[in-house]
Amino acid sequence: MSKNKQESKPAVQVKQLTLWEKIVRHRILILMCLPAIIYFIAFSYAPLPGIWVAFVKYNYRDGIFGSKFIGLDNFEFLATSGKLLELTKNTVLYNLAFILLGNFLAVFVAILLNEIQSKWFKKASQTVMFLPYFISQVLVGILVFYLLNYDTGLVNGILRNLGVAEESLWQPYSTPGVWPVLLVIIYLWQQTGYNSVVYFAAICGIDAEMMEAAKVDGANGFQRIRYILLPSLKPTIVVLLLFALGGIVKGNFGLFYNVVGTNPLLYSTTDIIETYVYRATVAEFNFSRASAVGLYQSVIGFVIVMVVNTIVKKIDPDYSLF
Amino acid sequence: MKKKVIAALLAATMVLGMTACGGGDTQSSAPAESSEESSAEESSESSDASDAGEEESSAEEESAGGEEAAGGDIDTSEHVVINYMTTGDAPSGEAKERLDEMMAELNAILTEKVNAELEIYYISWTDYLSNYNLTLARMDGTVDLVGTASDWLDAWPNSKNGAFIELSEEMLQTYAPKTWASIPAENWEMCKYNGEIYLIPEDNYAQWTNHGFTYRLDWAKEAGLADGVHSWEDMTTYFKWVKENKADITPWDSDGTQYATMVGGWISSHSNYIAIEGINSGAMWGGTKDDPYTIYSPYMTDTDSLVEFAKMMKEWDEIGVWKTDVLNNTTSTNRDDYRIGKVAAEQHHTQTWTDLVSHTEANKIYQEDENAESGFFYFGEETQNVVALSITHGAMAVSAGSANPERALMVYDLLRNDPDCYTLFNYGIKGVSWDTNDEGLRVIPEGYNSDTDNINGMTNFWWGRNDDLEVRDATRDWDKIDAMYAEYDKIKIPYQYGLFVPEVDSIEGQISNINEVHTNYMKQIAFGKYSGTAEEIVAEYQAALEAAGINEVTEELQRQISEVYQ
Repeated sequence: MSKNKQESKPAVQVKQLTLWEKIVRHRILILMCLPAIIYFIAFSYAPLPGIWVAFVKYNYRDGIFGSKFIGLDNFEFLATSGKLLELTKNTVLYNLAFILLGNFLAVFVAILLNEIQSKWFKKASQTVMFLPYFISQVLVGILVFYLLNYDTGLVNGILRNLGVAEESLWQPYSTPGVWPVLLVIIYLWQQTGYNSVVYFAAICGIDAEMMEAAKVDGANGFQRIRYILLPSLKPTIVVLLLFALGGIVKGNFGLFYNVVGTNPLLYSTTDIIETYVYRATVAEFNFSRASAVGLYQSVIGFVIVMVVNTIVKKIDPDYSLF
Repeated sequence: MKKKVIAALLAATMVLGMTACGGGDTQSSAPAESSEESSAEESSESSDASDAGEEESSAEEESAGGEEAAGGDIDTSEHVVINYMTTGDAPSGEAKERLDEMMAELNAILTEKVNAELEIYYISWTDYLSNYNLTLARMDGTVDLVGTASDWLDAWPNSKNGAFIELSEEMLQTYAPKTWASIPAENWEMCKYNGEIYLIPEDNYAQWTNHGFTYRLDWAKEAGLADGVHSWEDMTTYFKWVKENKADITPWDSDGTQYATMVGGWISSHSNYIAIEGINSGAMWGGTKDDPYTIYSPYMTDTDSLVEFAKMMKEWDEIGVWKTDVLNNTTSTNRDDYRIGKVAAEQHHTQTWTDLVSHTEANKIYQEDENAESGFFYFGEETQNVVALSITHGAMAVSAGSANPERALMVYDLLRNDPDCYTLFNYGIKGVSWDTNDEGLRVIPEGYNSDTDNINGMTNFWWGRNDDLEVRDATRDWDKIDAMYAEYDKIKIPYQYGLFVPEVDSIEGQISNINEVHTNYMKQIAFGKYSGTAEEIVAEYQAALEAAGINEVTEELQRQISEVYQ
């Protein structure tokens, strides 16, 4: 966008400002950015050299840069586990489901909220949907267990009271197939209220005149959503999707570890990179190997963001991140 | 063009930023970074650690013992606080008050004798190993004395990582003379890595931590087992009887973490296998009683026995010994349930049985039912295969981050050898938390409340108990316990690998993957949750172990063992 503007400007001779002059001129703006700049320097740039820990045999006394360099040895165990592909696949597929369904549902809910006329009901339903977001994953894990476990779970309790025979009761903790669905439901239950706030805010930002004009022109509710709301939300949706894609190889450890636990019967459909690495290395306390995995995930995430951004740019440069 | 580069960098930062911060869950680099500064400062000169290993450690020693050389006599003019790190949950409320009272008395003595006071730094039981290691990695002087163990608290990995100070003989002789004198030279040998002493062993305390099932002897008799359970098959009979005759009792409310002990117990009950401790939690490598230094893994060789095990556990699962979702059960309170008669068995070590068998206040079963009795079926009973405890099952080390290692040793020497300090620290204030009876046994005083007055359960001093100073607990059923110990003493062999510190750097990846395979399959096998036949699951398990590299690990361990013992 900015490029286009620059080109269309008349060729007036403007004195080139030096860097210092620019800083002085924009000092207020820069001052306002300062907290964010400091944040990123402190938490994103300053720790960057620490990536080195993934390539050394770390020992406490010599520190990250004093420890012995061992090249890619820390990455080896992931490769030799023979599970890297399956784990990456599980992680990516779950995240895809979370991102796509999550955003879809969030947009949907935001639109519904927008259409609700009663202010009281709007606030109440927003609050109710928001609440699960504040429940810790540990509690979610326990809640799910008490809902679903075979002996004392609520679901089976109801089934028993309905006279269902003991053998045909539901046994989700021995049935790997049901977990992709369950985990996605749990995720959506927890996150949708929170995610929809962003979209709801975007909807509130849409010019009311456009809506009124459409109304006057005779567009009904669905048409207004289809031709005004959704197109106006498009940039927000694309940007949020792009942001989410960066983390597509990073699993939601809290959710998976607490809900699935360490039940190997379920690993075939629920094991993600994080949970595997946690189990494999928790006994050895190996900083270097854990960091190696983190780096692997970051590099893949970086590649995905770059590729998707390039594609988005080809289609419509206005929507790309950069 | 420039813009593009900057933008790419920004994107990279965004993604990598998540590694550093968001990855905390999976204990990624964040904690490492925080410890970086302190550890880098400490030995910035020694850049090439591996080559100069020995030189470096001797240099460290000099700097550690430097003050001593300067002063000649021990200088204790400065009052210092020594932090003692132990696993256990910190007491609260009234229990904390009682602990503080004891600590005040103890610190008065310590101040008088060595001008130091002691504080306890607790590593609570939830995720204790991670938190324990994290605390050590901080190296900022948070802790001085560190309770450790070669088999369950990563004593050797931490020694190698530089978390513990090398304890030179001069240091020990100067600052912990009584301890130094009481531990024989061959025991010090077992505390060495690369020729340097890192641990002070708890080598003068009789305890048995071999595992087995505590069960209700009175019920076993009713079940037709006239002299109790003496084999796994008897155990099956017992569980079956309990399930059929005691409607509201879960035979054994196990949680999903017991798989390794169960299969380990099965193997020692059906072979002469003895395990090397401290390689992985499954203790999957070792030798035999007759030939300890030919290394093998019974998990690969004893196929028939494992199939047998898988079948029996399936039977137990079908009997309903544990709850259906046992693999997701992490919050079992089985031991406390045993005390009140809600379950019929508890799997843990002999030391726990000595508590459960005794008519203590907490063990309500004996008050409610005068016929109640607790038997112990120990793993290895069938083949008389029992190995005595390694002396580094409990040991004390000094943190390399400690500002006062000398004083820490002086305090330890008192805690371990001074009768007043020892009884205070282990039992509490006499008359409040304990007392002695006419026979000199330890009894509980009037008004004693086990919830708040049990100092022994708060200080957790498992790294230097001393039988010379122990006062026997009158509430324990010593007749039964002594009989059991005598039985062990008849058949025990000493731990065979005390001089061996495994070097796992080159096989660490394989061991991680083996752990994972073992956990995944053994959980299914040990709780009878596998599908298909026992033969199939064991074959699948062994194939997975082989793929994970178990044979390479066995070979490498054999090579290392041969170096030490031949």
